[in-house]
Amino acid sequence: MASANDSKWQKDAADQNFDYMFKLLIIGNSSVGKTSFLFRYADDSFTSAFVSTVGIDFKVKTVFRQDKRVKLQIWDTAGQERYRTITTAYYRGAMGFILMYDVTNEESFNAVQDWCTQIKTHAWSNASVVLVGNKCDLEESRVVNQSRGQDLAQDLGLEFFETSAKENINVKAVFERLVDIICDKMSESLDSDPTLVSNTAKATRLTENPNMQNNNCAC
Amino acid sequence: MAAEEDGDVFEITDFTTASEWERFIARLEEVLHEWKLANRDPLPNVPKGKFTEGPWEEKNEEILFADFKFLINYTRLKPSASAEAESRSSREREDADDEQQDEHKPPTITNDIISMDNDFPSRAHCLCRWYGLQEFLVIQPAPNFGVIDSESRAKILESSAAIALSDSGCHVPVFIQLQQKWRKLYTGVAIVPGANISFEMSHLKKLPSKYLHLDGLLNMFKGKLGCEYVSMPPVSVSVRFTYILEDWIHCPWPQMPPDFFSFSEGEVGCSELDVLPFGACEDPVSELHLSCTWPYLSADMIVETSGYTDLDPLQAPQWSVRIQMTEDPQCLLGQLLRAFMELCTRTETTDEILGRLATEGTDPSEKDGGEDITNALQRLTEPNLPYHIPSLGSVVSRASSKLKIKPEEAPIPPNSLNKILQHLFPDATGLGGSQSQKGKGQNSKTRDSTPVEESPPHGSPERVEEVFNEALKQLRSAPPDSLTYRLAVCMAIINLNHGGLRAVAHLWQEFILEMRYRWENNILIPDLGASASNKPSSSSSTTSSSPSAPSASVPAPNLGSCLLHQKLQMLNCCIERKVKRESAGYGHEDTVLHEASSGVFESDTSTSQPDNDAVGGGTAARKVASVNGSTTDDEDDEFFECDDGDSDEVSEAGGKGGQRRISGDSTSPRRPGSGKKNLISEKSIDSYMSDSSFKDAALMKAEGRLAPMKNMRSLSTNEPLFIPVTQEPSPMTEDMLEEQAEVLAKLGSSAEGSQLRARMQSACLLSDMESFKAANPGCCLGDFVRWYSPRDFIEEEEEDGEEKEEEERNEKNISRQCSRTEEEDGRNSASEEASGERPEDSEKDANCEAKIDSPKAADGKKSPASEEIPPQATAKASSSETSSDQDHVSSHCRPQRGHLSQRMQIPGNMWVEVWQSARHIPARRQKRLFDDTKEAEKVLHFLSGLRPSELVLHLLPMVIHASVLKLAEKEDPDVPVLKTLTDQVISKAVKVTRWPHPPEVKRYEDVIRMIELAETVSSRSKSLKTKFTRDLLEKGKAEEELHNFVSSLLQQPEVDVRGGAYGPAGSAIHKLFSAAQKAALMILEDEESTGEDAAAQPEQMKPASTVHDFPSPSAREYILRALIPRPAPYSRVLPQRMYCVLVDGDYRLAGAFCSDTTFQ
Repeated sequence: MASANDSKWQKDAADQNFDYMFKLLIIGNSSVGKTSFLFRYADDSFTSAFVSTVGIDFKVKTVFRQDKRVKLQIWDTAGQERYRTITTAYYRGAMGFILMYDVTNEESFNAVQDWCTQIKTHAWSNASVVLVGNKCDLEESRVVNQSRGQDLAQDLGLEFFETSAKENINVKAVFERLVDIICDKMSESLDSDPTLVSNTAKATRLTENPNMQNNNCAC
Repeated sequence: MAAEEDGDVFEITDFTTASEWERFIARLEEVLHEWKLANRDPLPNVPKGKFTEGPWEEKNEEILFADFKFLINYTRLKPSASAEAESRSSREREDADDEQQDEHKPPTITNDIISMDNDFPSRAHCLCRWYGLQEFLVIQPAPNFGVIDSESRAKILESSAAIALSDSGCHVPVFIQLQQKWRKLYTGVAIVPGANISFEMSHLKKLPSKYLHLDGLLNMFKGKLGCEYVSMPPVSVSVRFTYILEDWIHCPWPQMPPDFFSFSEGEVGCSELDVLPFGACEDPVSELHLSCTWPYLSADMIVETSGYTDLDPLQAPQWSVRIQMTEDPQCLLGQLLRAFMELCTRTETTDEILGRLATEGTDPSEKDGGEDITNALQRLTEPNLPYHIPSLGSVVSRASSKLKIKPEEAPIPPNSLNKILQHLFPDATGLGGSQSQKGKGQNSKTRDSTPVEESPPHGSPERVEEVFNEALKQLRSAPPDSLTYRLAVCMAIINLNHGGLRAVAHLWQEFILEMRYRWENNILIPDLGASASNKPSSSSSTTSSSPSAPSASVPAPNLGSCLLHQKLQMLNCCIERKVKRESAGYGHEDTVLHEASSGVFESDTSTSQPDNDAVGGGTAARKVASVNGSTTDDEDDEFFECDDGDSDEVSEAGGKGGQRRISGDSTSPRRPGSGKKNLISEKSIDSYMSDSSFKDAALMKAEGRLAPMKNMRSLSTNEPLFIPVTQEPSPMTEDMLEEQAEVLAKLGSSAEGSQLRARMQSACLLSDMESFKAANPGCCLGDFVRWYSPRDFIEEEEEDGEEKEEEERNEKNISRQCSRTEEEDGRNSASEEASGERPEDSEKDANCEAKIDSPKAADGKKSPASEEIPPQATAKASSSETSSDQDHVSSHCRPQRGHLSQRMQIPGNMWVEVWQSARHIPARRQKRLFDDTKEAEKVLHFLSGLRPSELVLHLLPMVIHASVLKLAEKEDPDVPVLKTLTDQVISKAVKVTRWPHPPEVKRYEDVIRMIELAETVSSRSKSLKTKFTRDLLEKGKAEEELHNFVSSLLQQPEVDVRGGAYGPAGSAIHKLFSAAQKAALMILEDEESTGEDAAAQPEQMKPASTVHDFPSPSAREYILRALIPRPAPYSRVLPQRMYCVLVDGDYRLAGAFCSDTTFQ
């Protein structure tokens, strides 16, 4: 808990102090809880309503995996149809996707296939995808049961999680799994992947502060 | 005790006095122990063929002799896992059974010397080859420590080794390297129980003629063994003769050198410009080495002297062949790629290259100057002023379109240049090459978009297709039917064949001029393909009414393609937007055009339909006209679009007018009170109209409608809702996107950063809101949200009595919100209409509000400052919202009951904020989200700023792509290694092309090297196929055998010929040799028949005639072996061996002679 009042300094530290950087993208229909999910992971906070995302936004979190600091730059996208063109442009640089639907909303589930097509079209073929059914705390209004999500994930060849950003269920697990998948793919290709940004060479010695994400107030 | 101790001390040996020599031996022993070579069980025999295949392992160590450094190296054949296991188990068995047997087992070395299983390995260490050893130690001077050239030094080393070996009980032979390394001269020693083996060697330039044949060598062997006095036991002999075939009489290399002149003579079409050359210029197969082996002969049975030989190659039991490839054959594709890549090292700019060619007196910077003028004028045009600079820019560009190059000095002659440009731009069928004539044939034809491949592909069509698709999907280049791809291939070919760097620079200049010409004259660039984003992204889930990117006929830049392709696509987008913009022209035509194209005509707009049609038709005609390059008609008109302070008012007035008209036409029943309000609004319009001098009645209506929304009515006005015409999102190229992402990322991940990011990206939202407001006068945020983000509007099926009160309270809020919105827009009638629909009690409120509002509205009309008023209202609204129960804040409107989602009601959120600031402006009068003029200039600037070297880097992905397709096409299914190579090239190319820019030349070098290799192998296979297939076969069914033979020749260093001379491959080889021999000896045609006969009937054994079919062997190898007691007749019988290789000018004899140390 180093004094983390100076957020500017923190940003710099977060920018420099890592071995790898993964760009992740959260996609899915509007109001399935993408922003809440990200805030839960990055800030461990929950608010019942975030302002509907305009365009694209991001958060950063550094995790450790096998003694390597992996900086996750997680891009949060607007789910509205109108923002498709804007957000799909960002697909190309992403190494991992969290495709999210809302278990209380049939339409968002039906759109998963379509989002998958979007990934196939706009992302590099080696990008990793995890399917996530969010808001699983709202049992009483659930319309998509878990097995349907499971089956769809199997059909699409994706890993599947049901989560709740509100109750903090599986949020961390999703990100950890996604990072694992990406790391596995990375070690498969012996040459370093060109899309992978390694910062080892220019990593500067700055105090590591794993808790810095908590300091960003979530309003 | 003490006395004893004293005595001990007295007798201390001073080990430090050990000589250098002793220390050397001790160190040697140490190493032997370290490597576990001492007192080790013998190794099993090496299975047949293992020397060539098996992995060899090496260990190295440094040893000092005084201050002279030696390297000691241990080489051994790695035992296969099974052999190792076997030896272990047998050892165990032996241990258990009989310990005595172990002693009888001969040491590895003696086995190796006498074994006949591994004679003449095709690839092995020379010591292994000469002595048949599976393990040995070599001591050689370390680099820079001189050579061992004196006898005495060699002897010292040898005896040191012998001492170390016998001390440590190591049976591995030790060799000392003598003389220069390249001579491969060794002397060696091995100590086995009861015997020594000495390895002697001589390496000579000349050998006395009496030793040149088996006869003499046998005599020498016997003499060396010194056993004249015993009856000589039989000496066994292995012989190998190698014949070299250099002349391929029947099949000269079929590949013709490319015809460099055909193009410039103008007889050929496009094919030369888009077909990459492929293959080797020279025969990649230089020699065939045929080795005939007699693996086991008794010396008594055969005779070989200078005058007579029993060794007829056709009679040899084993034939094997190796192919000598031409070192680095000149391959056409590789050459082209290398030449193209070399341009990357050039630093000149295009102007520097071409500037030298410019005629004197012309200002070389004129072109740039022209651009500057254009830019300056463009700068005057605000992005939201879509007027067009008349023809000034085009005039300048037309003036500069002809380079100031004398035709005779141009790197590419005008005639050729025309052809090239026609090839690149098939849509321009103008006769001349000058850009000004390009436009004429715009509509004449569209190019048949199939890659041109005339030659029948070797590879299976499926495979070619597979590679084609794979490459297309993975490689970051451009589709093969695209202009970018054509340009790249064309540039590479022009660089190689038609003038190098200068020609490349020239063509690039012409290309840029063409691009500019097309931009200025609204001619779309052909063949830039369909992008990913243009694919139907129709989602079943999204309602038809929700906004989506309108599909454009011109694709947005495909981020999966290379940057240059993206840039050209971007330019095309700009041209398309410009055409649309210009053809949309003035006033409401924009709307009309869109409506006409979407085919939606509502009763509301029907009144203006005939007029619209007429105008629309006119627009279309002008579009054609402008496409044809005559833009003069529009140019003056476009000043109408001037959007300054006045236009805001115009638009507001227009909106109001539209509102009025619609409400007039509307079929919805009128509510009491609305008429009165209409009166008021009309009045205000009248007053306004009197203010402004020019008024167009057509402007007074809802603007920019695209289509009605299904069954949707405004929450505030109950008018049917319309989807507005919106601005298309800005196309982005990769670099723009990166830049933007970087800017966004720089804001950090704090909340403020987030907000700032949202604000930065709100332009599109604002534009859509403004369009929506324009299309739906009097609408409220709820209406917008229902279209834009349907899930943020929560509809209610029924209301609980309990909540009713609250809802009503909220109704007031929302109505206030709605009316507030309208205030900003300067429209109050809508709110009154809305309030007219309310239940009784709220109507009163609404009327009150309206009364209060109207003065504000009047203010709003006069000054845009009225927009600053809302914050109060917002505060009011939001405070009441927040005070109400958060779970059930219902902003409730009729007839659809429902409320905004919780997040849309967050006080001060982006959406509300933007909604409030959104004005009532249809898309076409908004500030352009995408400034095509600026972006086009940026692209053109990017293109013209490229140095040829940079250009080459940008073109390389396509050239690599083309090469990969070429490889796949030439792939031979019989040679699997080619497929592997192609796949490797693809995966490497994928990595290289996706490497984030700036691209690196080095990485491309690797790919090119791999392509060269694949090309070479492919050429070899082609060459071998032509050599071995053509009528050399007597039996048709042997063809498959020959195929296999050829493909194994490509993959293995040495291939056994199945069936020797009489197998299908063998007889083919025989024919090749005899043909070459005949040619060499100038045998006349009639004599040939006898030769053929002899070849055809080898069974008849006519050594005299068949010998003529082969040249004299280039190399002869003999291995002589015998079991002879040495040094005395009563000594043990021990293996002796001598290896001889006789090559002209390089003779080597290597003997391993055992002598008994017990019975000497």
